[in-house]
Amino acid sequence: MRLSPQQFWRIRENQYRLFITVCGSCGRKAILKRPVCPYCGSDRVHHVESSGLGVLESFTKVYYRRNSSEDDLPKFIGVVRLTEGVRVVGEIVGVGADELREGMEVEAVLRRYASDDPYGVIYYGIKFKPV
Amino acid sequence: MGAYVVGGAALKIDRHFELGYKDLAYRVVRDCPECSDVDYVIVASALPELSAHQVDLGIHVVQWIGRRVPALRVESGESSGLAAVDLAASLVSSGRARRVLVLGVEKVTEYPTYTANYFYSLTLDYEYEVLRGISPPAYAALAMKELMNSGVRRECFSGWAIRMHENAVSVPHAMLRFKISLESFKDSQVLAEPLTLYDSFASGDGAAAVVVSSKPNEGDSSPEIVYSGAEVGLPAYLRDRVSDLTASVGLLRRAAERLGLDLRRAAVELHDSYTVYPIAILKGLGYLDDRCDLGGFEYLNLSGGLKARGHPVGATGVYQVYEIFKLMTDGLGGRTAPAEYGLAHSMSGPDNSSRVVVLRR
Ligand SMILES: [Zn+2]
Repeated sequence: MRLSPQQFWRIRENQYRLFITVCGSCGRKAILKRPVCPYCGSDRVHHVESSGLGVLESFTKVYYRRNSSEDDLPKFIGVVRLTEGVRVVGEIVGVGADELREGMEVEAVLRRYASDDPYGVIYYGIKFKPV
Repeated sequence: MGAYVVGGAALKIDRHFELGYKDLAYRVVRDCPECSDVDYVIVASALPELSAHQVDLGIHVVQWIGRRVPALRVESGESSGLAAVDLAASLVSSGRARRVLVLGVEKVTEYPTYTANYFYSLTLDYEYEVLRGISPPAYAALAMKELMNSGVRRECFSGWAIRMHENAVSVPHAMLRFKISLESFKDSQVLAEPLTLYDSFASGDGAAAVVVSSKPNEGDSSPEIVYSGAEVGLPAYLRDRVSDLTASVGLLRRAAERLGLDLRRAAVELHDSYTVYPIAILKGLGYLDDRCDLGGFEYLNLSGGLKARGHPVGATGVYQVYEIFKLMTDGLGGRTAPAEYGLAHSMSGPDNSSRVVVLRR
């Protein structure tokens, strides 16, 4: 199915930048700019932007194919603990399997998420690469 | 008013290239005498918009099978089937319906496997998980690594798969009716390290039916639906550990406490889309040590589970309830479970939601 430019435009803030929702009720923090705290349901929240720096806590090398093309495989999906203390799951790029290790410092970068090839729009968003 | 399971049927889960949604639905109803006398139909299905361009599947199925009774479709991802049984029990208990046909039906083979994988991935959050490249097996792999880092051996997961294949051999409607060995894992295709294809559910089309009635069948002991519950978890990326399946563990614990039910003595069907999840759940409930000895469970996933019976996504919960019904009555592939309780557990995504339905003989 083709991507919807409107849909992607609407969520651009959370795709292009790394926001954190901070809850004024329970004090917990969660990745993404959200209207309510996912932990306690409170709407007494404010948002801060992450530095984009963090540590790779865990990762997996993924071969699971869900495109007609296998060009993006294998890829690495990792759990990153941002310096702000919040976890985020995303793709790790710019590194080979033998170089990737847990505890490695990583930073957020803007990379391609998807596209309506060959003539459509290209969608970008946050991924991580080693510092 | 009570709600009883009084009948049902199931088609073999397979690549049914010659059968669409409506055909599958008709085939399973044709094999089910109890399915004819009903005053409401609930169709459980997760993917028809994606795989068959079809909206309002409930009505189109009912028209195709020639029943002019109210119908609707229930969709709740992988747990659609149990959601439909839950709703059927509510309609019957409230007096809104007398006999409800719950019809789980799904096509997953209409497109190449990579497209089916994409559809299946959409059980996750499209905008913040799928677009970012996250997929169900990636989460399952991260969960498996967590458990392995805390001392669970790889063989625990392989052992689950081997046991499921053994169980499925005698199940007529199971997709993979053959045994596998530990050796098989060595050559198995990797989905997301350390998770392999042998750790994953079997993917096929299917249809299953159960009839939920306000009255038990005359002269026999139709099991009664005595518990039906649901719980929602946090998205996996917001948990401290992906393998903390708190919705499933909490719900199973609550159901067991409420009824005084021991999972080791009940006919249990656990949602094992990936081998790591039932292990995580049984560990979370305190049943397993790191050696993962499942010997204490008398009737655990006798169907072969999602792993070997198969997982026609939105229909799976209906298969589970049908299997428990058969195990508690006249038998499933020659096996019976003379247990007081039968419990079906289903979840969508890595514990995004969890559902439990319990039958009592
Ligand atoms: Zn909060």
